[in-house]
Amino acid sequence: MFRKKSKALVAMSIIMSALIMVSGCGASKPAATPTGDAESKEPIKIGFLGAKTGDVAIYGLNTLKGLNMAVEELNKEGVLGRQIQLVEEDNAGQKDQAINITNKLISQDKVVAIVGDPTTGITRVAGTIANSKKTVIMSAGSTGPDVVEIGPYVFRDTLLDTIAAPATMKYVIEEKGWKNVALITSKNNDYSVGLSKIFSKSIVDNGGKVVIEEFIQDKDTDFSGQITKIKAANPDVIVFSGYYTEGALIMKKAREVGIKAVMVGGDGLQGDDLMKIGGADVEGSISYAGFSPEQPTPDTEKFINAFKAKYNNELPDLFAAQGYDALMLIAKAIKEAKSADPEKFKDTLAQTKNYEGVSGTITFQEGREPIKSPVYLLEVKGGKFTLLKKVPVEVK
Amino acid sequence: MKKLLNNWIVQVLLFLSVLALTALSTSIIQDIIPPYLLMIGLFIGINLIMALGLNLITGVTGQLSLGHAAFMSIGAYASAIATVNYDLPFLIGVLIGGLAAGLIGIIIGFPTLRLTGDYLAIATLGFAEIVRVQFTNMKITNGAIGFLGIEGSTTFPIVMTIVVLTICCMVWIENSRNGRAMLAIREDEIASSAVGINTTLYKIQAFAIGSFCAGVGGALFAHTTTFIQPTDFGFLKSVDILSIVVLGGLGSIPGTIIGAIVLTSAPEILRPLANYRMIVYGLLLVVIMIFRPYGLLGGVNLRQAVRRALMIPKKKQAGRGE
Repeated sequence: MFRKKSKALVAMSIIMSALIMVSGCGASKPAATPTGDAESKEPIKIGFLGAKTGDVAIYGLNTLKGLNMAVEELNKEGVLGRQIQLVEEDNAGQKDQAINITNKLISQDKVVAIVGDPTTGITRVAGTIANSKKTVIMSAGSTGPDVVEIGPYVFRDTLLDTIAAPATMKYVIEEKGWKNVALITSKNNDYSVGLSKIFSKSIVDNGGKVVIEEFIQDKDTDFSGQITKIKAANPDVIVFSGYYTEGALIMKKAREVGIKAVMVGGDGLQGDDLMKIGGADVEGSISYAGFSPEQPTPDTEKFINAFKAKYNNELPDLFAAQGYDALMLIAKAIKEAKSADPEKFKDTLAQTKNYEGVSGTITFQEGREPIKSPVYLLEVKGGKFTLLKKVPVEVK
Repeated sequence: MKKLLNNWIVQVLLFLSVLALTALSTSIIQDIIPPYLLMIGLFIGINLIMALGLNLITGVTGQLSLGHAAFMSIGAYASAIATVNYDLPFLIGVLIGGLAAGLIGIIIGFPTLRLTGDYLAIATLGFAEIVRVQFTNMKITNGAIGFLGIEGSTTFPIVMTIVVLTICCMVWIENSRNGRAMLAIREDEIASSAVGINTTLYKIQAFAIGSFCAGVGGALFAHTTTFIQPTDFGFLKSVDILSIVVLGGLGSIPGTIIGAIVLTSAPEILRPLANYRMIVYGLLLVVIMIFRPYGLLGGVNLRQAVRRALMIPKKKQAGRGE
């Protein structure tokens, strides 16, 4: 059976490998013009790196919505008399694909800047490549450590946990007077482990005290052991640094055993599932965010209205607003440097001070780490996130 | 001529010159090919090294393992710790990664390889979970946050040289006494132990060599991405490698090579399809499995096939393969 077919098979495998070679080579044709040339009328190419499929697709897709709005707006007038062209690729949230895309965007599409990735891990990997190839990369979502330290071409326009978490703790301890804190960390979640370190330092800095520290794992569903111990410690507030699903389940259990304290956490708690799972038990929970569509500044209001008009009355989220700001920041730097050469406009970009973006005021410190103001404190009220307070952040 | 080829010194020399030729030609290619394609080639190489290891375990010896990503992660972390924390040279790090994975493979092999079929698959699956959770909770691996600051030392020539080395070793193993014993175990374990083959020994040998390859692949992966997290080595990674072996053809080395090329480059080649990319990718897998249920080259004797295609008259039928 096999033997009869084998001749055809050899032919088939030869054709297949030839096809692979051809399609590979076809894609490898270099783009016609270098975009660094200021005289050129070719469009300025900006790459998008993020997941459009997979577990973290929602971050990428929303960033893309904001980016597309920014492109539309910039192309009304053009940048240096040129149009902006977005080259979008899907990395499915995987490192090897992200490496391939970053190389493709830079060496094949000749983009001058990349917006992405929304997650810290992939930004580190892509940032290392972009920096060595002298292409600007601006993450519109990464908040973890060791990102901008990679090199002078790596930026981000996010509200950092190192700024937001202390501001939140200051509010909780000084204004609410909740001094005795139960701290819960999700041990297999890199975001939670990192955030807990910042939380526990700022609790002590603001005169509070961690009376009990407990650990859970993401995807756990039974927290009886931890909650029983927390009840015995009798804290004023439960600080949880993980994501919304576990947060909701923790609060359900806490209310069940009669703990009255509310939960405070980071932007990981921002997800509608928090209320869907937690119901009445998560009422009063406080978390911070880099963006809220409530109480907008005039610019932000304009952005929100345009966004709703374009996307079926949908409200923009954090990623859409930060994606929009990321491209606007890059375009502004290109205009000011009068050059689309990343080597030149990266310095202009690094000097951005008090830029009024739709997601807040952005200043790049020395070393390019952003300071964003304000920190939006949100409270769960009536099953919805509502703005509790805008806490301004001082630029030193 | 034939006599000359049977001389082991000539064989070793031939082998070394092939390696040298690979290293030389790939370092020339490296400068010509654009970085995007080079990177895809590099990932094909890394996946191929790991898939060849799994092919020995699952394809040749017939032991279904769903924990290959665990050995990959052991190699990745061991090599990263060696090069970052102890400042060892990159290639030594790769070797350490492979040895660490191989050693763990032997230790795990003793209890689990007494199981067969589905039971072994579940046991290896559980082992992979244990390894992932262990790395999440260890201090030296920096837990869930991930291991940072690995040097990007992996280059195309190094990967390709290791690929050729692995392919040569695999061909050599399959044609050796041990390889024959492994094949016999796959075909009928009871019959082969009845004729005096120490089945546990050969299964553990296959497992150790296979895990060694996974460890080497993991080490190369870590020094490509420069940053690794336990989540990079989840169950899906094991499935990715297994699908390369199954799609290429269980037990076929040329099949595994084609499987690695097709499955690694397909997501990139299909990029122009944008949002339909992964749908078409899935469809491709289904269609291949329907039309080639034994894999692309499963059950094909390549030597015979080439001879037939080139119309070379068959001489003496050597009784190898199917």
